[in-house]
Amino acid sequence: MDYVVAVLLPQMLHGLVFGAALGLLALGLTVIFGLLGVMNIAHGELFMLGAYFGIVVIALTQSFWVALVVAPVGVALVGALLEVFTLRPLYKREPLYGLILTFGLALTLREIVREVWGGDMRRILEPIAGSVPLLGMIYPKYRLFLLGASLLLLFGIWLFFTRTRAGIIVRAAVQDAEMLDGLGVDVPRVFTLTFAGSAALAALAGLLLAPIFTVVPTMGVEMILLAFIVVILGGMGSLGGSVLAALIIGEAQSLFSLWMNPQRVAIALFTIMILVLIVRPRGLFGREGVLE
Amino acid sequence: MSSTRFGWRVWVVFAALAVLPAFPFMTGYRLNLAFDALLFGIVAMGLDLLMGYTGLVSFGHAAFLGLGAYSTAILLERGVRSLWLCLLVAIVVVGLYALVVGYFATTRRGIYFALLTLIFAEVVYTFFRYTMTFGGSDGIQGLEAAWVLPAVPASAIDSPLKNYYTVLVLLLLAYVACRVLTDSHFGRVLIAIRENEDRARFLGYNVRRYKMGVCVISALLTGVAGALYPVRLANATPDLLLWTVSGEAIVMVMIGGIGTLVGPVIGGAFFIVLQEEVSTYAPKIYQAVGLSADKGVGLHFLIIGVILVLIVLFMPKGLLGAVRAVGLRRPRSMAPAPAGGSE
Repeated sequence: MDYVVAVLLPQMLHGLVFGAALGLLALGLTVIFGLLGVMNIAHGELFMLGAYFGIVVIALTQSFWVALVVAPVGVALVGALLEVFTLRPLYKREPLYGLILTFGLALTLREIVREVWGGDMRRILEPIAGSVPLLGMIYPKYRLFLLGASLLLLFGIWLFFTRTRAGIIVRAAVQDAEMLDGLGVDVPRVFTLTFAGSAALAALAGLLLAPIFTVVPTMGVEMILLAFIVVILGGMGSLGGSVLAALIIGEAQSLFSLWMNPQRVAIALFTIMILVLIVRPRGLFGREGVLE
Repeated sequence: MSSTRFGWRVWVVFAALAVLPAFPFMTGYRLNLAFDALLFGIVAMGLDLLMGYTGLVSFGHAAFLGLGAYSTAILLERGVRSLWLCLLVAIVVVGLYALVVGYFATTRRGIYFALLTLIFAEVVYTFFRYTMTFGGSDGIQGLEAAWVLPAVPASAIDSPLKNYYTVLVLLLLAYVACRVLTDSHFGRVLIAIRENEDRARFLGYNVRRYKMGVCVISALLTGVAGALYPVRLANATPDLLLWTVSGEAIVMVMIGGIGTLVGPVIGGAFFIVLQEEVSTYAPKIYQAVGLSADKGVGLHFLIIGVILVLIVLFMPKGLLGAVRAVGLRRPRSMAPAPAGGSE
């Protein structure tokens, strides 16, 4: 019982917190994949950019909460510009060009950040300090806030996709962009706004996780692989699948690390990944015929 | 089997490369730089077989490079001094690994192929990064030089010069092999697969077997280059296995010109020289104008990133493709188009 309360429970909660934030990141990735057919490698850099924009806003306003609003908007703008000027000309081409292009974008963004802010580790202080007793253990308040905020956002996104006209248009575009175009919807605008939205989500995830992690220009590189695994496990283009997979991966990583060293954890996750790709190539909830 | 014709320009280039060390400006440092440039030329050419000819983008070539490097490093560390034995072992190790990766990855197409190769490579990276027997994150350091001939100790010939010619010979062999391969029946089937996989299958070709074959060949070229790397570096680190290295190999292919074999070699050399020059001079210039020198370290990545984006957008056939397009060179018959030109 002591083991459960002292070790297992906090670790499971850690996993849940991380998984929920990972879900925000993966959700943007999977929407972009479903919509544009692009596996966006630069998504990790948008995540990183969220944290750096956050640092700037915090320095100016001394407020984490202002940053939480302003930074994602800034990153969304960057995303919109990237979509219009670099991705849009590629939609007619092979999807693999998108993969290669976004690798170039990732390099560029990462090094711009290094040029501007340097390569040193930075920290964002937890805006909510202290801990609360919870289920017989002491748990940091900020992580609970992070969990709540992520879940709230995920719920909001679900509402957006099921209850609003804009969300239904995006889903329709994922299904069949050509048909949507035929029905008179301005599809390029849908693409741009969706890309901006996914960039904002990545930035939010980056800023929310920043107080727990450290902020470095390479933080996106480390996260993007995990996000890829989540997207594949959940099924490319499946929103619910991505969220579920993010929670599974968050928990798995958190719990595995109780019993294994980081090497084994990573190899275990990769092995799960390879098995999933072989046994269920479309992931848990993948649709048939997406980019095959 | 169609006969292979080599353009005279290729021989001129190789001849120029052969006399290059005779010039006084080729110091030991520059020779080493040229070694790296040609070495990554081989890597990019190997990747081009997959990307340019078969239409498969591998995001896991770092694993072939790194496995080759580690196999040489492990042998050198344990007292094996023959370069040829090192290369042979690397071929076996990389070949076996490539068979496994190829077996699983070729079941899928497109993005899934890229991701499967990526994940397999990450397993290899994680293994070496955390295995203390192989030095963990430091890798294997302080290796002694390898012998080219048993009778000639490493110190008998100037080492950078010896290394340079070794890699030049390997590049020549690799180029001839690739050219013959792509002009052969096998190569034509690969192009058919790239253009229309289903049609190739309906014509009765075992597409999967061809794909696995080209995976292994591509991996071996990269692996042999990797096996040669520690001979100059005197070390092997897990950084060689990072997935970003795989991305850099793709960048080299794209910059030079996908599907041209020669282009990727140019791309590889360009990448390495740019990287070296920029990361040498940028911090000094930054310091001179009073900026933090550590920012200049990654400047070459910024330049490369921008170049890559511009090339994908405006010059999808790379530098060589652009040169050919303005008519400086007559296109080869059946000149290959970029990866997966049609779906």
